[in-house]
Amino acid sequence: MSAVLEVSGLSKVYGDVTALDRVSLSVEGGSLFGLLGPNGSGKTTMIKVLTGQIRPTGGSARVLGLDAEREGLRVRERVGIIPEQESPPSFLTSMEYLEFVGAVRQIPDIRERADEWFHLLEFGDKRDVLCKDLSRGTRQKLMFAQAFIHEPALALIDEPLINLDPLMQDVVKEFLADYVKSGKTVFLSTHILEVAEEICSSFAVLHNGKLLYSGPIADLAATGAHLPGFFLSLVRKGSHA
Amino acid sequence: MPELFMRMMKEEWRMHSTIFGQVSFALFPFMIFGISFMGSFLLPYLRPALPIGDLALAVHAMFLVLGAMVGEFGLMGNEMMNRRFGQASLLAYSARSLPLSGRFIFVNFVLKDTVYYFFLWVLPFGAGYVAATPFSGASFSSALLLLLTLALAFMWGLCTVFLLSSVYVRSRAACGVLVTVGGLLFLASFLLKGPALALLFPPYMLYCGFSWKMLLSTCAQLAAIYALSLLLFSAEETGTTKVHGDLFAPFLARFGFLQQSPLVAKDLVDMYRSGIGIGQAIFSFAIPLVLIWVFLSLAGPFLPLHGPIMLFSMITGVVGSTIYTWVTEFDSFGPYACLPISVSTLIQSKMTTCALLQVLPGAFIAIMAVLSGEAENLLPAVVLCVSFSFYAAGVMAYLCGLSPSVLVYDVKVLFTYLVLDGVVFAIFSAVSLANPLYAISSLLLLLPGWGFVKAAMRRWDAVDPGGY
Repeated sequence: MSAVLEVSGLSKVYGDVTALDRVSLSVEGGSLFGLLGPNGSGKTTMIKVLTGQIRPTGGSARVLGLDAEREGLRVRERVGIIPEQESPPSFLTSMEYLEFVGAVRQIPDIRERADEWFHLLEFGDKRDVLCKDLSRGTRQKLMFAQAFIHEPALALIDEPLINLDPLMQDVVKEFLADYVKSGKTVFLSTHILEVAEEICSSFAVLHNGKLLYSGPIADLAATGAHLPGFFLSLVRKGSHA
Repeated sequence: MPELFMRMMKEEWRMHSTIFGQVSFALFPFMIFGISFMGSFLLPYLRPALPIGDLALAVHAMFLVLGAMVGEFGLMGNEMMNRRFGQASLLAYSARSLPLSGRFIFVNFVLKDTVYYFFLWVLPFGAGYVAATPFSGASFSSALLLLLTLALAFMWGLCTVFLLSSVYVRSRAACGVLVTVGGLLFLASFLLKGPALALLFPPYMLYCGFSWKMLLSTCAQLAAIYALSLLLFSAEETGTTKVHGDLFAPFLARFGFLQQSPLVAKDLVDMYRSGIGIGQAIFSFAIPLVLIWVFLSLAGPFLPLHGPIMLFSMITGVVGSTIYTWVTEFDSFGPYACLPISVSTLIQSKMTTCALLQVLPGAFIAIMAVLSGEAENLLPAVVLCVSFSFYAAGVMAYLCGLSPSVLVYDVKVLFTYLVLDGVVFAIFSAVSLANPLYAISSLLLLLPGWGFVKAAMRRWDAVDPGGY
C-alpha cells in the first residue's frame, strides 16, 4: 500500500523549546504505526501538526494526500483523533456528545452507530450521564468512540489505553487489530512499550523532538531484540548524545 | 491561615499574569487609576448638569455590581480554568487532596477575593479620585470617604454572591425563593418609594452622611452576610449522578436552518444545564440594568425629553453585547480540536448564539419602554439597543477572539475596546437625544459590526489555537 502519511523535515518551535526537530517519516496505509517516546518527547505536538491544529515552524506533512498546514480542516474531516487529555464537553451527555460529533461530521445514522459503540465499549448505562460526571475511563471510551464513529481511513490516537482497565484494553487492542486488517490505518502515540510491541506493525522513536529510529517491528524481532530494551538503550544514548 | 491566604493571592496573580503577561497585567491598576484621575477633571463640567450625589450613587452601584461579578467569577473559577486550560485546578478546590477543611479553604478564598480585587480595582479607582482633588474641586476628606464607601459597596456585592452561592449549594429551590422574594421586595419598594430607594443603600447612605455609628452599622451588616455565607457553606454537593433527557437533538432540529446549527445547539444546552444562562441573566444582565435604570431615572430631570430611555437603550446594548462573553466564557477551543472545526467557525457560531440571545435585551428594552410611558419610542429604542449590541460584540470578537472574559484585563485590548465603543456611543447618544426617531439610523452599525466579525474570523484563524 502507498503512504497515507508523509512527513519531511518537520520542525516546531515554541519560544525557546524545540518540540520537533526536522523529523521525517512515512506511514504505509493499512498499518498500525506506533510513535513512541518518553514524556515531553514531542509526540502530542506531532499529532497536532499532522492534524492541522498547529502550524509547523519548518518542513511539511501530507496526510491522506492533503497538506496538513494549509488543509488542516479537510484533514480533520477525514481522520479520527483521540486527544491526549479526554475533553468531551462537560454539560452534554455521552449520547448528546456523539450526536454532536455526528452532526458536525454529517453522519446520518449517528444514533445507531452510537449504540454500537456503547455496546462494544460497554458503557451504555452512561449514555444519558453528563460528561462531567463520567469517570476518566468512561470519558476515554467516549473519546475513542468519537474518533472511530465515522470509520476514518486514518485515526491518530494519543495514549488511547490510559485509564482503561485490562479487560477493556483487550477489547480496544482487538478492535484496532481488526481495524487495520480492513485496510485502514492507525497512528498510535504511546509510551506503553509492551502494547506497542504487541499490536504495532512498525514504529518510530522520538526523543527531545528528534527522530531516533523508524522501522518495522519485524526487523527488530528478527534480531532477537525486544522493543522495551531497544527503546531504553536508544533513548539513553539519545540523552547522552 | 496566612500561608494558604498568601498562596491563594500568588495563585490569583499568576493566573492573570500567565494569561496576558506580567507587565501588561501589572499595568491594569495604573490604567484604572488613570481613568479615575482623568475622569475627575470632568467633574466641574458635569456638576451643572448632574448633581454630584447622583454621580456618586452611580459609582457606588458600579462597584456593587463589580463585587457581584468578581464573586461569581471566583466561584466558577475552577470550571473556567478547566475548560480554558485543560486539566487545571485552583487551591480553592483542594479540600480533597489537602488536610484542610472545605470551610477553612472557603474563608481564605473569600478573604483573598476581597483583598486582591480591592487592590486591583477599588484602591486604584479611589486613589485616582483622591489624587485629583486639588484640581477637581472635591474635598480631600470626601474623596477619602468615597474610597471607603466604594470598598464597602464592592464588598456588599461580593458577600451577597457568596451568600447566594452557599444557599445554592445547599438547595437550589431555596436560592430560587431567596432571589425571587428579594426581587419582588425590591420591585415593591421601588414602586412605593421610586428611585429614592437607591438612597437606602448602606454604603451610599454612609457617603451622604458619615458617622462612626453608621460605619459600624454598615460593617456589622457586611460581617453578618459574610458570616452567614460561611455558616451555610457546604463543600460537598449533595446530588448523585443524574441522567438527563436528550436536549441536543431537539435544539438541533429547531435551529437546523442555521449554518452552524450543531455548535449553536451545543452552546444552548451547555448554557441551560450549567446554569450559566440563568446566572448571567440575573447577575450580569437584569440586576445591573435595573440598578442603572434606577440611577437614570434619578438623572431624568437633568436629561433631555426621552433621554433616559434612549440612553438606557444604548447601555442595554453595551450589556447585551456581553452575551458574547457568556457564550465563550466556559469554552476553549480544546473540545473542538479533534473535530473538523476551525476557530473562525467557532467565532461565527458564538456570534450566531449571541445574536439569537439578543431577544433578551430586545425584550427587556421593549418592556422598560412600555413601563416608563415611552411606548411610542419602543421601535427606535429596540433598534438602537440591538444594533449597538451587535456592533460592540463584533468589536469584542475582533479584539479578543474566543477569550473576551480573559483579555478584558489586557490594558491595550481594553483601551481599544473603550475607544471603539465610546466613539460610537457618543455619536448615537447625541443622535438619539436630538430625536429618538434618528436612532433607527443605528442600523448602519450592523455593517461595521459584521466587518469586525469577518476580520475577527480571519485574525484568529491565523493564530495557533492551542487545543487540548
